[in-house]
Amino acid sequence: MGARLRILALLTVAALLSGAVWARLAYWQVLRHVQLSAQAQAQYHELVELPAVRGVIFDRNMTQLVVNTTVYSAFVSPDQVAPADRDRVASGLASVLGVDKAGVMQTLESGSKFAYVQRRFSKAKADQLRALKLPGVGLEDESQRSYLPGIAAGSSLAANLLGFVNYDGQGRYGLEQYYQSELAGTAGYISSYRDLANREIILGTHTHQDPINGSDLVLSLDANVQYAAEQALADGVKKANAESGSVLIMDPSTGGIVAWADYPSYDANSFNHTDTSLFKDNISSYLYEPGSVMKVVTLSGAINQGAITPDTVINDPGYLNVGGYRIYDWDRRNHGSINYTYVLEHSLNVGAMKAMQAEGHAACYSYLKGFGLTQASGIDVAGESFVPLPAQDQMSDSQYATTAFGQGIGVNMVQMLSAVNVVANGGRYAPPHAVERVGTSINPLLLKPQRQVITPATAQQMTAMMEAVVQHGSGWTARVKGFELNEAGKTGTSQIPVNGKYTLDVWASYVGFLPANHPKFTMIVVMRKPHVPGSDRDWTLNDGYFTAAPVWQKIAQAMVVDWRITPT
Amino acid sequence: MAGAQHVPARRRRRTRGFVQVAGSVAAERLRLNAFGHAYLGLGAALIGILFYLALAAQVTQSSYDITRLQDQQRQLVAEQDQLRYQEVTLHAPAEVQQQAAQSGMQRAAPVAYVPAQPVAIDLEAPAGASGTDGTPLWERYLAALFNNVGGTRDVLAAGH
Repeated sequence: MGARLRILALLTVAALLSGAVWARLAYWQVLRHVQLSAQAQAQYHELVELPAVRGVIFDRNMTQLVVNTTVYSAFVSPDQVAPADRDRVASGLASVLGVDKAGVMQTLESGSKFAYVQRRFSKAKADQLRALKLPGVGLEDESQRSYLPGIAAGSSLAANLLGFVNYDGQGRYGLEQYYQSELAGTAGYISSYRDLANREIILGTHTHQDPINGSDLVLSLDANVQYAAEQALADGVKKANAESGSVLIMDPSTGGIVAWADYPSYDANSFNHTDTSLFKDNISSYLYEPGSVMKVVTLSGAINQGAITPDTVINDPGYLNVGGYRIYDWDRRNHGSINYTYVLEHSLNVGAMKAMQAEGHAACYSYLKGFGLTQASGIDVAGESFVPLPAQDQMSDSQYATTAFGQGIGVNMVQMLSAVNVVANGGRYAPPHAVERVGTSINPLLLKPQRQVITPATAQQMTAMMEAVVQHGSGWTARVKGFELNEAGKTGTSQIPVNGKYTLDVWASYVGFLPANHPKFTMIVVMRKPHVPGSDRDWTLNDGYFTAAPVWQKIAQAMVVDWRITPT
Repeated sequence: MAGAQHVPARRRRRTRGFVQVAGSVAAERLRLNAFGHAYLGLGAALIGILFYLALAAQVTQSSYDITRLQDQQRQLVAEQDQLRYQEVTLHAPAEVQQQAAQSGMQRAAPVAYVPAQPVAIDLEAPAGASGTDGTPLWERYLAALFNNVGGTRDVLAAGH
């Protein structure tokens, strides 16, 4: 019995011990399997990302607007710098990079493993630093977008249209943001196995995926016209003492954007040192009341509807009572019997309201829709803002009346220019767009048929009325030499509302196209809050004819020369 | 077991390997003793180690070369980017204007346009001799003949 007991005891002990071993094995191999295999994978599996090259951006003449360049960051490993070398290293870094020597010394004395000395500097500095062969100092290269210089030191060309790329490689604002996925491409990778000494195991599983570089963009923009627009705008804003201004130029037949200028603007090359409020683009993100420029839309609709003709005579006593409100002409004068050409020439609100009443609310609303003013323009630039109009039956009489002359309706400049461009384009709406081609693909917008908003005959009549504005009316300040009889335009001035009340500050604008019979471009200029010297006595000095139209004229003159436009 | 036939045991022949044969031959010729064998083994091991070290050094050297060349390639690409930017900037409107201004040039607006004068040609009429052409027939045939035979004038005119 004694022997049996001993054997039994031994077996029990063996069973317990083996059970403990099995339990431990089960713990490591079953319960901790996922975690341990992940740890092991992380130790011997290496994934190296192969970054894709970001696509570049060209203008219509294949002038490159953006270049990918390499910048460098300097780092130091203080634990690898001998105390005797510290002074030499600190002096070298301070002299080349212009950093504070005492600060570098402090970093070197900290004994830490790694510290950046300076980020993102030029190759010239990197070469100087490399030549010094400082111990413990290394360089890291990174890619950066470089943009063309603008009109002044603090600006780059077409900054508000292009946007910029931040340090994480993400496009911010403008085209860089809108076309982020197309421009960025897809990163590739190399996946391999490494041994304990971090050597690649050649016979291990090895996968390699090449990066797909980003697509290039070809814009409808013209860099020379863009530059001329930026220059003329900057001069105009300064001269008018305005808060800001913008210019938008469009190809009438395609809707392609030829120039997109904001002032003040910023330098996209140093976006990290820029006031973020300047990033906002005032062309597509800023809503304003277009003022009398809207009369082009109102009168076009009424003519197309057959409600009026350019020669229809109306009585304009200088005001009109609508919906319980008395609404005046800008000059509050009794103009007596006048026709609609005269209404447009002298920008009379009463005439615009009577035209709207003649065609009726339903037709007026449908034309607003047709001209693209009830929805976003859909332009391919990030950050477009728009305010949808209330439903047709929810708009009051007074709302229709003020909309007829461009007050009480909020639009962005892209919407407004596209609407006026309908007249220049023979009555068809050309969808606005900035990009003509993405890689080798044509922008699908260009392949779609354009919708007919008004008849070509109506467009022709409206063109003649707009020509009269330049020849006999408020557009005289925009006359381009040689095109005096072949230029169409319209001024606009609208008061800016603050807390529901109109103030004396205005949005002043001018829109037009040239040559009137075969338009090569359509352009709109908007000045925000101009304060021309002397306007405190005569507030009409801030009007579109005096602040925006001269800028339009200057740019148009430059385009006539650059594009070799001749009177026909 | 009377009926059992005696089968003579076959002597199994052991095959000697090449190394053993070569070793024994070498030992016989060199007359190596036990220490000689040890030295020979050590020498072979040393040669193996040296060979391995040379190979490892070569691999290390190659990896250094690859790293150096990769670094050089990165620098050249960076330089190329830099040159590309300089080239693009030189053609930028801002630079062109600055250079033009430094050269004393300025943008000139067209002074005047000459209005087109109406011309006495009916551009809508079909090309060729009109039905009212009063030239005698014999002159037309003669002209056609000269054109065909020595028609270089028309060809030259077309070429310019």
